[in-house]
Amino acid sequence: MPNDLILSRRAFLIGCSVAASPLLTPVTFAAAPGDNRLVVIILRGAMDGLDVVRPVGDPAYAALRPTLAADSATNPRLTDFWALHPAAAGLMPMWQAGQLGFAHAVATPYRQGRSHFVGQDALENGTGGADGTQTPSHDGWLNRALTLMPGAHADTAVSVGQQRLLVLDGAHQTDHWFPVTESPLSDQGHDLLAAVNAADPLFAQPFAEAQYLVRNLKGAQVPPGPNLPYKQLGKYVADRLLGPSRIASFSFGGWDTHRQQDKTMADQLTGLTNALVAMQTGLGKAWDTTLVLAMTEFGRTARENGTCGTDHGTGGMAVLAGGALKGGKVFGTWPGLSDADLLQSRDLMPTGDVRAYPAWALRAMFGVEAAGLQSIVFPGLDLGTDPGILL
Amino acid sequence: MEAPSLIEEIRFGYGPRAGASLSAGGLVPERVLAQLTAPDPGAEMWNRPPLALRVALLDQSKAEKQAEDFAKGKLGAPFPVKPVGSAQKLDPAKAPEVALAQDPAMATSPAMDKSPEMAMTATAPDMTKPADMTKSPDVPTAPKPGPDSPAANLGKQLKAMQLGDINAYIGRAATTSVGFVERLVNMWANRISVSNDSNNLGNYLQAYLDEAIRPNIAGRYADMLKAAIWHPAMQIYLTQTDSIGPKSVAGLARGKGLNENLAREFLELHSMGHGYTQTDVTEFARLLAGMANDDAGPHVNMRRVEPGKKTILGRTYTVGVPEINRLVEDVAHRPETADAVGFFVARHFIADVPPPDLVQALSVAYLAHDTQLVPVYRTLLQHPSASDPVMQKVRSPHEYAVASLRLMGLTGMEENMVGFDKGLMQVPGAMARMGQLPFRALRPDGWPEVADGWMTPPMMAARVDWAIDLARATGDRADPTALATFALGDTATPLLQRAVAGAEQRWEGLAVLFASPEFSRR
Repeated sequence: MPNDLILSRRAFLIGCSVAASPLLTPVTFAAAPGDNRLVVIILRGAMDGLDVVRPVGDPAYAALRPTLAADSATNPRLTDFWALHPAAAGLMPMWQAGQLGFAHAVATPYRQGRSHFVGQDALENGTGGADGTQTPSHDGWLNRALTLMPGAHADTAVSVGQQRLLVLDGAHQTDHWFPVTESPLSDQGHDLLAAVNAADPLFAQPFAEAQYLVRNLKGAQVPPGPNLPYKQLGKYVADRLLGPSRIASFSFGGWDTHRQQDKTMADQLTGLTNALVAMQTGLGKAWDTTLVLAMTEFGRTARENGTCGTDHGTGGMAVLAGGALKGGKVFGTWPGLSDADLLQSRDLMPTGDVRAYPAWALRAMFGVEAAGLQSIVFPGLDLGTDPGILL
Repeated sequence: MEAPSLIEEIRFGYGPRAGASLSAGGLVPERVLAQLTAPDPGAEMWNRPPLALRVALLDQSKAEKQAEDFAKGKLGAPFPVKPVGSAQKLDPAKAPEVALAQDPAMATSPAMDKSPEMAMTATAPDMTKPADMTKSPDVPTAPKPGPDSPAANLGKQLKAMQLGDINAYIGRAATTSVGFVERLVNMWANRISVSNDSNNLGNYLQAYLDEAIRPNIAGRYADMLKAAIWHPAMQIYLTQTDSIGPKSVAGLARGKGLNENLAREFLELHSMGHGYTQTDVTEFARLLAGMANDDAGPHVNMRRVEPGKKTILGRTYTVGVPEINRLVEDVAHRPETADAVGFFVARHFIADVPPPDLVQALSVAYLAHDTQLVPVYRTLLQHPSASDPVMQKVRSPHEYAVASLRLMGLTGMEENMVGFDKGLMQVPGAMARMGQLPFRALRPDGWPEVADGWMTPPMMAARVDWAIDLARATGDRADPTALATFALGDTATPLLQRAVAGAEQRWEGLAVLFASPEFSRR
């Protein structure tokens, strides 16, 4: 089965809604001409940007975060104004090398409801609708962008590490990325199975893809080890990007920190740091032409809630990394945290459309024209002035 | 009770069970509804311990651990060890207006009628099957020689209880004669979902099913919502337990405040879905602050409740259990909730994109009958789409695995199954690879209710793996052609019948049946 038959439209970002867990994550790839590489990570659950990149220079910050920011005096300093969450300290060398940046106070156009599911769909669909209504095609923006890139084609869709909780519990270790085993079925049995599944429109394609996985992707096995799965996920993505793939996307959940955020956030950021460092290491020289863009559906309340966590908010933050990045800075316009600066006196006010960052990346790295970006890929987007994220 | 027909078993149950006789003909709505009050012979073997016992064991386990730490000099003062018997029973009916007694048959869950000991040792179901199939759902903890500490033993007991819960989740559906009842329990538990995702809720979820969901499936949705929102499992899962009114005594003293999680998900996922504002969510969170359900039953902690009026969806509420229940009652009667319930039920049983007139009819029936669910089911069963021979829905991994076990007359707990690792089927592991590890829904809106959620290539590969393994273990004593007819009737296409009959070996024919799209549909 040729590769270009493997990826269904639904496989690219939209339609993988079951992938709320980082360990049950479809990774999708696309091939494209040239040497530039783009990795898009969907941080599901609404990452608290104010906790990750801390505006310690903002006079209102400490009072809003009495417990979460209690240790900020000792945090790694990005600038006089910004400090990094200590669990992401492993990213400081990247920051110092100008290969790490952040876009603060950004949001999708979805500003009504603060629903995870609508928010994630809006983020992946790229819609301009304030109520989260998707574009008529109900597909992913990256998928649409591919149609505007000459020579690009979708590659394969692979689910990584399906044995999620067994791995986590330590009860079983998996050495398969794919939950498939050697089939004892005869060739004829396979043929019969293929025939009955091919006759059903709903089952035909996933079944064919499943057969393809079983037969052709054994090479992707990765031995189990500590810090599963983030290091391995990063390494796996890097390996694929050293082949013909130039675009990769996966989701990373677990950011919905309503309570005891300090502990959860530390775990989450350790995972994200591990994934990013593993990609950098795995890509080697190719890291120089790589941009990683991690985005989340919305931000969280500026104030801590009553349970040492934060509730659903609006203005969020994106993480940018890679040798292609002109980093070492926090992008965007900072709205401030005084009560009057907040949206509805509760959320970080969004001052930028988060879609502008992937849009400028697609333009600079893959030559997608502005007109297509503002109409087909991100309907209603105003590209604005180039934020200068790339070298 | 008259045996159901094949279409009733497939669309409204878990598929036909080996050896059962099926009614001839099509769907008879009142026959399906009769399952709601019919006995389920043998089901008592799947009865599980109630929450009160579980909480007592968890408390005791905590206390024993602290006592051990104290003995090792790690801790300042020992925690008093509370004997299991002293724990009060948590009775949801204690909540004013949480009336579970609409229908006497549904007044209490079966598990709560039995003493915990009875429930845990019940075996010997009234079923004809080989001796090795009649194990208790609890995995026995082998008594080890040597000084096992009380804490370690309690830990094992709690773990075994969780494994027993998972076995019951599979085995009860696999053996039931009232499949419609079990489908409804699992459907509503997925609409008002609780998951063992991160808060050590493993020992709570079965109790949530038995105490919040099961007693209300033939009652009022408003009562199910009340039972759910008050259940400790839900309050822990959606982090309500620490939410404190900022202007309450405790809030002012400790600078603590609200957590909106339960308030928001109740409105978004459990009831309305849309039609409310952020202000409604925040006001609702103010109303819920301080709610508690422990040894004392459902109550509000007056030190934590937010004083003053709360305006939610245009109505005002004050403080206390009756006010929270009044809010739930009001929300349950909103047209948005009726539409959402109608859509959910229609989508669950009929099609991923259900007929709009069916959704509308269910919504009307719901509102016209004070949120009673039986009229909703009756409207569903009488709609032409309920009898449509085209099976549009894809079985979830649970439904799929259970349907295959039923067809072979298994419970999922059999041993010495040739071809499986160590002879054990490990159904939960197989379900996990198909995308659904029991009691671990990944999102607060529960497991996917549409085909797309189960159709990724690795999940499909896992279904095929299960089909092959189960067929190899059971297929040498099967007649695949007869089983295809028994399982699918007319929905087995000529192509499938030829493929099943044309396989090289019996077991391969059975594998083709299990791995066919027809067998994954309902």
